[in-house]
Amino acid sequence: MVIFIFCLAGESIAQDDLPLLDLDTPVRLNFSGSWEKDFTRSDNWEDELNRVMRMRQEQAAAQVAGIRPLSRPRVSIGNINLNSSRSRSNFVNLARVAEYISRQTTMEIIQNRNEVRVERKGEAPLICGMETGPTPTFSSPHGSEFCGWNRLQLIFEITLPEQLYITHQFSVSANGSSLQLITSIQNGDGIPFNLRQTYNKYEAPPEEYNCIQTISRGRVCSQRTPLD
Amino acid sequence: MAGCAVREHHWIEQLKAMNLITTVLKSCAIVVHGLVLVTCVQNVPAPVEPTIPLVGSVNLDLATVTPSELLLLDIGVRIFETALEEETNPGYGGLEFATIRENETQYLPYVLRNTLIDANQWGAVRVLPQDDPSMDLLLSGTVLRSDGQELQIHIKVQDSSGREWLNKKYADLTLEEDFPISTRYTPGNRFEPESFTEPFQDLYNQINNDLVAVRAQLSDQNLRDIALVSQMAYAADLSPDSFAHTLKTDANGYISLVSLPANNDPMMARVQDMRVRHHLFIDTVDEYYQALYEDMQPSYVIWRRYSYDQIAQDEAATREAYDISRYSSSSGYLTLIQRYDRFRWSKIYEVEFSELATGFNREIAPAILELNKQVHGLSGTMEEQYIQWRRILRQLFTLETGRP
Repeated sequence: MVIFIFCLAGESIAQDDLPLLDLDTPVRLNFSGSWEKDFTRSDNWEDELNRVMRMRQEQAAAQVAGIRPLSRPRVSIGNINLNSSRSRSNFVNLARVAEYISRQTTMEIIQNRNEVRVERKGEAPLICGMETGPTPTFSSPHGSEFCGWNRLQLIFEITLPEQLYITHQFSVSANGSSLQLITSIQNGDGIPFNLRQTYNKYEAPPEEYNCIQTISRGRVCSQRTPLD
Repeated sequence: MAGCAVREHHWIEQLKAMNLITTVLKSCAIVVHGLVLVTCVQNVPAPVEPTIPLVGSVNLDLATVTPSELLLLDIGVRIFETALEEETNPGYGGLEFATIRENETQYLPYVLRNTLIDANQWGAVRVLPQDDPSMDLLLSGTVLRSDGQELQIHIKVQDSSGREWLNKKYADLTLEEDFPISTRYTPGNRFEPESFTEPFQDLYNQINNDLVAVRAQLSDQNLRDIALVSQMAYAADLSPDSFAHTLKTDANGYISLVSLPANNDPMMARVQDMRVRHHLFIDTVDEYYQALYEDMQPSYVIWRRYSYDQIAQDEAATREAYDISRYSSSSGYLTLIQRYDRFRWSKIYEVEFSELATGFNREIAPAILELNKQVHGLSGTMEEQYIQWRRILRQLFTLETGRP
């Protein structure tokens, strides 16, 4: 009898201590941390632009000469004729926009069991839940944003007026020390321009102040104490 | 380095395509189903939700001389309900906005209560967490829309005899002038409640004026009956065995008096005594709502101002979005950057608005906590405390009289 009561008591304590197992929310890789751009392992937009253009020109030339690479799809000269000064200029513009969109050299990612939040200076945060998606996260007359997960990748897709598409794909290395972000930008049915950037995790100095937004006193900050 | 064309085999597009196929199939099913129906019922117009007429500019029907005792009916204003759906805009701050709506349902009735008191047309006017049988008039409201630009409320008022006074939807719009400079936060600029006029005051004035108009149509006998029925309804609520027989309810739900106890009836004297205690309690409840109103007002008014600004911003954005010349089809660098920046700023603004909502809820949290704090041994939310109090009074009455 005593043993039975003891077992019951032990069981109730164990039940209290155990966290609830939430099987509905998928487990995702941990993206959290402070990240800084590794310029040696990131695309330079001009180099990448030149590479893509050279490659396309080679393909187009090979196609004209009747040489068709086996593994590559046929290049539609009418669609992406980069010899045309207009198309070339359009593609250059996409590359410059990609560079503008991914101009930040650092970013902060906060992640918990329910959502991941990517903070970049000068941008609204990219926030996504843990569901596979696609999940609508923002919509305005100026564009809409979806997010979701593709296996290990976190993806945000932004659709702007006049069929301008921007995609951010985040993936993190197995040891969690580096993060890759591919920003892809596409205008209409044209070919997309992709910019790949690599970030390394770093130890950001602790914030000196705790700030909260209030409505009647604006942003209120207090100095952090060691207990914070 | 980044050679693969990401969008060419994109997972989101695949999922969207699947969703699209499902939607198309569903639509086809609906169309087929619809066609079958059309063959049976033709030319049936779809129901159109009528827009609620705006109250416009309304002066409060103010009694300069206190009306006769007969006209001074006691009014209980129940905390409002909300019929607002979840945020249509996905993503940010859904929970925060829901909390604001919940808090509004306790704030807005107090504005109406103040208006009714200012009109000097009524007896005691109190905000209550629940229906109360001791009230002559019970007013309930459902918030249909509430933001910095528009307020829509569905108001229902019944007297103690079951007569419907009002069942009407009210709507009012604000203008920029309704939000003076003190409603925008700047360092050193404090909100002054004394010099502030509620932006939707016309709406509350209209409710008061409609009530006065209904009262004017009633005879003195009608008014006398209302007061007597509420007195006996309270007695029957306290002790159904002793007093339920004094009232009867007809097929339409109207309650009328069957008999009245004698003036010197000792049971009735105890009921009156209990009623006084009960009114003291609900006066205390009303004071708690007043404290909440006073604590919440500065933040709420500034919040509404931000809401007004945000709606104005959204409307401007929508107008711009339709102006296609602003989004020239050129794929020039500046045009593309402009498109991205417009999106970027609209999102930044939305996130800031959501953070303000969090700030607002954070600021009024202590006031809500104070409202629901334990009072005189009662516990739980204000609504739960009110139920406990009525139960205690019933038990007290049973103990004193020895009758259930």
